[in-house]
Amino acid sequence: MHELSLVQGIIDAIGETAKEKGGRVRSVRIGVGELAQFDIRLVRGLLNDLKKGTSLEGARIIVEPEKSKVKCLGCGRIWNFQELAGPISSDEREIMHFLPELLNSCSRCPNCSKNYFEIEEGRSVRIIEMVLDA
Amino acid sequence: MPESETGLDFRRGMIDRRLARTRRVLLVMSGKGGVGKSVVSAALAGIAAASGLKTGLMDADIYGPSSALLFGAKGLPVEGESGLVPPILGGVKVMSVDLFASGRPIPLAGSGANEILLELLALTDWGKLDCLVVDMPPATGDIMLTLTSLRKDDVEALVVTMPDRLSTSVAHRVLELLRGGGVTTIGVLGNMVHDSTKDKETGPGKLAEEFGVPLLGLLPYDHSVSNAVEKGDIEALLRTKFTRSLRRATSAYLRDIGASRTAK
Repeated sequence: MHELSLVQGIIDAIGETAKEKGGRVRSVRIGVGELAQFDIRLVRGLLNDLKKGTSLEGARIIVEPEKSKVKCLGCGRIWNFQELAGPISSDEREIMHFLPELLNSCSRCPNCSKNYFEIEEGRSVRIIEMVLDA
Repeated sequence: MPESETGLDFRRGMIDRRLARTRRVLLVMSGKGGVGKSVVSAALAGIAAASGLKTGLMDADIYGPSSALLFGAKGLPVEGESGLVPPILGGVKVMSVDLFASGRPIPLAGSGANEILLELLALTDWGKLDCLVVDMPPATGDIMLTLTSLRKDDVEALVVTMPDRLSTSVAHRVLELLRGGGVTTIGVLGNMVHDSTKDKETGPGKLAEEFGVPLLGLLPYDHSVSNAVEKGDIEALLRTKFTRSLRRATSAYLRDIGASRTAK
């Protein structure tokens, strides 16, 4: 369950930033990108469990899904994961769960058949925003 | 006054914390493809592990990964509580994008390769290592910049080059970048050398002299290497004449790691 490592990494990064800036964490917004196919309830649960005793305890934590936006560099069309996912097997979904960029290895543009995509949004879990009280 | 922070890449901190448990990181570089970086990296990792050092091999050649193939590693890494557990082959912990891609092409645009590298470095649970050998990609782009700017003191580079002018001219650029970036180069290694007397004077030897770094050795062209590579048999690779030469060339470096381990 590498989600655990990632969530721990998020909490550590927020804690280090708050310490560097000398502020208290008022709120954080965490995005859960569609391409990595994380269970958002799991991410919320891990944040709730792991925040205890950290700078995030007492802060407002918002966890929100982020839709994917993937640009085909062949024809310029913008797709989302659902539009590309049809031919992707369950094994391929699993490798994208770890490395979303491997979408390029698993799918092709429905319009031009090229497999050079640029992920513009909704890659994986990320810190969208953190607000500190100075 | 509230302060908003965006663009905070938490993976950088994860990587720093993981590498804090690694004594030395060695980037095996050349700038140019086809000079034998991957085979040198694999054999060096195997030599280090056989000498008793806890060793990892990170395949940073995201577009053309070959470390998994060289070690005969297959299948997704196991997910542990602290991250992805790299398979151990020949005593070496091996991590490569090919454990995920399994031979599929990996077409990547823009920052894609660097994103994969960051993800693998952030997620891989190496445990404690004495030495992490990094098989670097050709070229001097994002991946080189990411790895040479790690927040870690003990990141060093080994520059591999063939004796010809095309290879040494690219290696020259790499050495300049390393010097400019303040990365210690442990030495230059000539590979696929036919005439060691001549190449000590010219090619790799001249390059090492110009940058004031040791010429670690001149490795011969050895047909038996390709047989071992074909089989994905790391043990066979470690028995080649090539590996014997590499062992001699890197013995001081590996002894130094062993000594620092004993000292701490």
